[in-house]
Amino acid sequence: MNPTVSASGLSLHYGRTRALDEVELRLTPGVTGLLGPNGAGKTTLLRVLATAVPADRGSFTVLGHDPRTARGRQEVRRHLGYLPQTPGFHPGFTAFEFVDYVAILKELTDRRARHREVRRVLEEVGLGEVRGRRIRKLSGGMRQRVALAAALVGDPGFLVLDEPTVGLDPEQRMRFRELIARAGEGRTVLLSTHQTEDVAMLCRRVLVMAGGTVRFDGTPAELTARAAGRVWSSTERDPGAKAGWRTGTGTFRNVGDPPAGADLAEATLEDGYLLVLDGMGAGVAA
Amino acid sequence: MSWHVTEEDLRAYARGELAPPGLWSADAHLTGCAVCRGVLAEVTDPVALDAGWERLDAELDAPRRGWCEGLLVRAGVPDHIARLLTATPVLRGSWLGAVVLVLTMSVLAGALGDHAASPTVFLALAPLLPLAGVALSYGPALDPTYEMAVVAPTHGFKLLMIRTVAVLGTGIGLNGLATLALPGYGLRALAWLLPALALTAAGLALTPRLGPVAAPSAVGVGWVALLLAADAAREPAGGPLAPFTAAGQGVSAAVAVFATGLLFLLRDRFDSASLRRPQGSL
Repeated sequence: MNPTVSASGLSLHYGRTRALDEVELRLTPGVTGLLGPNGAGKTTLLRVLATAVPADRGSFTVLGHDPRTARGRQEVRRHLGYLPQTPGFHPGFTAFEFVDYVAILKELTDRRARHREVRRVLEEVGLGEVRGRRIRKLSGGMRQRVALAAALVGDPGFLVLDEPTVGLDPEQRMRFRELIARAGEGRTVLLSTHQTEDVAMLCRRVLVMAGGTVRFDGTPAELTARAAGRVWSSTERDPGAKAGWRTGTGTFRNVGDPPAGADLAEATLEDGYLLVLDGMGAGVAA
Repeated sequence: MSWHVTEEDLRAYARGELAPPGLWSADAHLTGCAVCRGVLAEVTDPVALDAGWERLDAELDAPRRGWCEGLLVRAGVPDHIARLLTATPVLRGSWLGAVVLVLTMSVLAGALGDHAASPTVFLALAPLLPLAGVALSYGPALDPTYEMAVVAPTHGFKLLMIRTVAVLGTGIGLNGLATLALPGYGLRALAWLLPALALTAAGLALTPRLGPVAAPSAVGVGWVALLLAADAAREPAGGPLAPFTAAGQGVSAAVAVFATGLLFLLRDRFDSASLRRPQGSL
């Protein structure tokens, strides 16, 4: 399958801070999760791929278009939907007016067709009933859905979502996951998140970033498998564990190299993620 | 019922093409005649009917245009450009109120102050207002939708120019109204116009190099410094400051042209990323 996005050697520095370091990736249709701690370079990678900032070195293409030229950049943007980490709104706009404004920026200039498209995406994110309400009067979850609707305008082939579930309550998060899953049908979605549950529930593939580099590239099952045989329970925190915490049952869950005779527990995606960050499960699976 | 609307008229009625007085007659008749309503339902094209409902629905959904946007559309500005023009962040009540207040005070100072022979305060201040307005209308720190706008296929320079036109149009219009309050000074009271264009163009041209806040700030400070220097060197005392003389106006025009050319050459620097700043987490 031809990749929607193909990147090679992407690097970017902010002063002395190395935000991206020789990132290689290939994204194909479906939802790909991007995990990593704060400062890992996730947002920078997303902003580079969204053409919001150029890389210092390296290159990438989106649907065959190279954003290093003005024409190529415009073509990339024509196929792009972007939900930034902190989407901003003109406060006096209604949901409809805001998405309409973004639709104009996306070159939908025919008024009737544009309004039809705005109504479609607002219906798609479940905001058809409140489309005339001012954004400042909407809840945080609804605002995120307005921003997602704006990203979906024009039916882009490549959707970049930067931590869209942050700050949402569990019900809103679940609803948002449904929307992302639906958005990932037939298009390529890159989803940055801190929530391993998001990845477990939504993603066909997962990337783990740390220090500006991709530490893991594989399926969620492969990431979970990194922790197989490396998770154990104990009544006290095991000082030899890379990470350990008391669970709701009062026992400790430890991740690392288990001692002989340890009471092994079933590994989860989060265990695999922790081991990759610690360098124990590093490597590219696929 | 002794008569019925002909099928031909009912088809025209369904298409919205039946003209008065036949339309009025059909309207009145259809309210009381089930037979004709039945024929009307049969001759109505369901696709056209759906399209009609969709059009009606879309019109009901459409954002209501404000007076300014409506005026622009009636003047022939395309609908989407009018929307972008009037959505310029700085064209809000608070900013416009501040501009009007500043202009009123400076006009009063010019008209009533000790230096009544010259509207110096007004002339010094008026060019700064469009400069500040344009600076506040674009950029990552001030435009809430900057991040979304910069990755849209509409070229960033085009959006910048649309907003600049909106702000300059408003700012120059208000300055022009304020000028009318100083009729005693004749054309001298219009000496702010060329410096306003020069400062605005220079501020924009320096933005890719200095950033969207530092560039207009530097230009503003430079303008004030220039006026202070001109005041110190003024001969004779009480005469016009150098920037407001004929020679000064020529220099302003030259700066405006040069900065506009430079801005055009640098247009791609407004298309992404050159105004970048790290934001959020890495």
